[in-house]
Amino acid sequence: MPVILAACREAQRASLVGEDFLILSEEEAKEFDAIAARIIPTTATPGARQAGVIYFIDQVLGDRREEQLALLREGLGELQAETSVRFDAAYFYLLEEAQQDEILASIDTTSFFSTIRYLSVAGMFALPEYGGNRDFVGYQVIGYENQGAWTAPYGFYDADFVERGE
Amino acid sequence: MARAPSANFNTREEVDFVVVGSGAAGGIMAKELATFGYSVVVLEQGPHLQAPDFKHDEWGYEHNNDLVWSTRHGNRQTFRRNENEEAVLEERVLGYAHNVGGSSVHYSGNFWRFRPIDFIEASMRGTIAGTNFADWPITYEDLEPYYSKVDWEIGVSGLQGPWDPPRSRDYPCPPMPIKGSDVLLERAAKQLGLTPYPAPVAILSQPHNGRPGCIHCGFCNGYGCEVNAKSSSMVTMIPLALATGNCELRIMSTVSQLNTSDAGRVTEVVYFDESGTEQAQRTKAVVLCANGAETPRTLLMSANSMFPDGLANSSGFVGQNLMFNGYSSVVGLFDEPVNGWKSVPTTRVVHDFYEFDESLGFYGGGGIDGRHPSQGTPMEFALDAPNLFGTPSWGAEFKDNLAYQFSHCAAFDGHSTSLPLATNNVTLDPNYQDDFGRPAIRCTYMDHPDDLATMEWFMDKSIELMEAVGATNISASYPAEGQNGNVHLLGTCRMGNDPVTSVINSDHRAHDVPNLFMCDGSSLVTGGRGQPTMTIMALAFRAADRINQLAKNNSI
Repeated sequence: MPVILAACREAQRASLVGEDFLILSEEEAKEFDAIAARIIPTTATPGARQAGVIYFIDQVLGDRREEQLALLREGLGELQAETSVRFDAAYFYLLEEAQQDEILASIDTTSFFSTIRYLSVAGMFALPEYGGNRDFVGYQVIGYENQGAWTAPYGFYDADFVERGE
Repeated sequence: MARAPSANFNTREEVDFVVVGSGAAGGIMAKELATFGYSVVVLEQGPHLQAPDFKHDEWGYEHNNDLVWSTRHGNRQTFRRNENEEAVLEERVLGYAHNVGGSSVHYSGNFWRFRPIDFIEASMRGTIAGTNFADWPITYEDLEPYYSKVDWEIGVSGLQGPWDPPRSRDYPCPPMPIKGSDVLLERAAKQLGLTPYPAPVAILSQPHNGRPGCIHCGFCNGYGCEVNAKSSSMVTMIPLALATGNCELRIMSTVSQLNTSDAGRVTEVVYFDESGTEQAQRTKAVVLCANGAETPRTLLMSANSMFPDGLANSSGFVGQNLMFNGYSSVVGLFDEPVNGWKSVPTTRVVHDFYEFDESLGFYGGGGIDGRHPSQGTPMEFALDAPNLFGTPSWGAEFKDNLAYQFSHCAAFDGHSTSLPLATNNVTLDPNYQDDFGRPAIRCTYMDHPDDLATMEWFMDKSIELMEAVGATNISASYPAEGQNGNVHLLGTCRMGNDPVTSVINSDHRAHDVPNLFMCDGSSLVTGGRGQPTMTIMALAFRAADRINQLAKNNSI
């Protein structure tokens, strides 16, 4: 991996400190952040990290979602055990992306994964007041234009319909 | 914010009417009765949210259930498939808003009128064994003037279609501009020899009654309207009710029971105010407009020595015959941008299959409209898309598919009949209570085999339509194992001439209690074809007229 990218990743990990979170520990935040970043990776458009999805996850888990929090904590323990067995590492967030993907692919039918996926995707598109979708970057991913009002035609087919006088 | 001056009544002084609920029916009832000159107290369990309060808040509304009663907000609900099962606590089973205007604030405003056949179908088609399928005690002709009243006073946009029942007045507003998803539906339907036409909606296409036209923001179904273009009872009726000076709106007021006298008349409505303190409003008469779940619940909670099975329940029909309406959805992708996430949910409907031919072998009927799947909102779509299109659910491919799928998709949704069954009902849960200590609502529901067959039939027809217009990645679904809940809550205190098989008469008066009326989804005898609110509102205007006549004749 190019040195500069590795440095960026280190900086990202270092930026997640426990006191920033309402309910997650620093370790949990780093782990869930790493998982969210593989569910919605940074590509040509922003990913979960740019959207601050981990802050959304922290905020909503602290809002009367005790069952989900317990499920995620239990699942994280199992994920870390798998990380140790497969790659002899203590933490998922320390793995290379390909290694992370390999582990996630092995568990992506579990309720743990579906829950963290649910929260990661939700955090990409929820209003920024919930902690994620910072500066509405999530909307770029799906091509939603946040202008709040439209006039017809809205797309190709209705424009074509009017043009043809159907 | 500025509020109209409203009346202020003492709880120990008898008012003419207490209206329980301020939703689709309650808002109209309050406005009509107050305009006739009666003193009215409206008890609404939620807050008075208004246009500036509404946001495009997917997480809050859809996942925190901030606009609807749910277990998360202390209003526990349980569900079971049949009476032999132990009901299980669920986050939400029966969906309804808890705010002034009720679910008319967050509905999608599909305002299909019922047709003449809906009121007389049992006698035209024949009763169906094992069901409580019955004719209404009123006809379409009885209700037509009130449908037109809804069109004009509430505000409906549309164009009379080829299958529509006769109307005494045109729509006040022209139809909404067609959306791409409905261009596809219209082209497909025409290829199949069908007759699509503009969907009537309770959303203004142009200014009407001092309110502005729709800005097509796309956050409609499940959301409050930030410009007052959606025709809720909150924006259309409540301000008029309060302006009469005869109506007091008490928000955050949760009714726990109706008390009756030795003569078997309702004397007062007991409720918890915002602080949780128990209050009781004395009244000459009560109109329950609390919706198809809360109205029967209130009657069942009001059981006493004179009414041991619940108030107004000598028939045993309070809470029974719950109907949801059936649904199906078929989704596909198209080559060019559809952008169905802009504007209102739907602008075209196919109603050629309102009544099934009896040769099909099962009862049913309904309509198909064009939509954006997942209500056209980003979060819901991103959560659903992998299931809809069979594409990866995480990683770069998941993410990089989203924008194309979001803009290039359309759904053709079926909306259909439900039969009234004694085994589908709302009862009081023996094990759970809400935060006020009231028994939780327990829902028992399994769709009739004909209802399931109807849903599947509409799903298959939508697949045919999708294929006709060149969709790819087609996926289709309907609740084949039975529905686990719904937002249409119909039939649970139904209207009828026979006190043995109905709860209220055609004046909406309880057969058993002379000064108690019910008007909301619970009044419906049959469920129509999937869009009940227009009919609930028309019934409310008519019921207010009937109640006024009775009051004027000193017959209450």
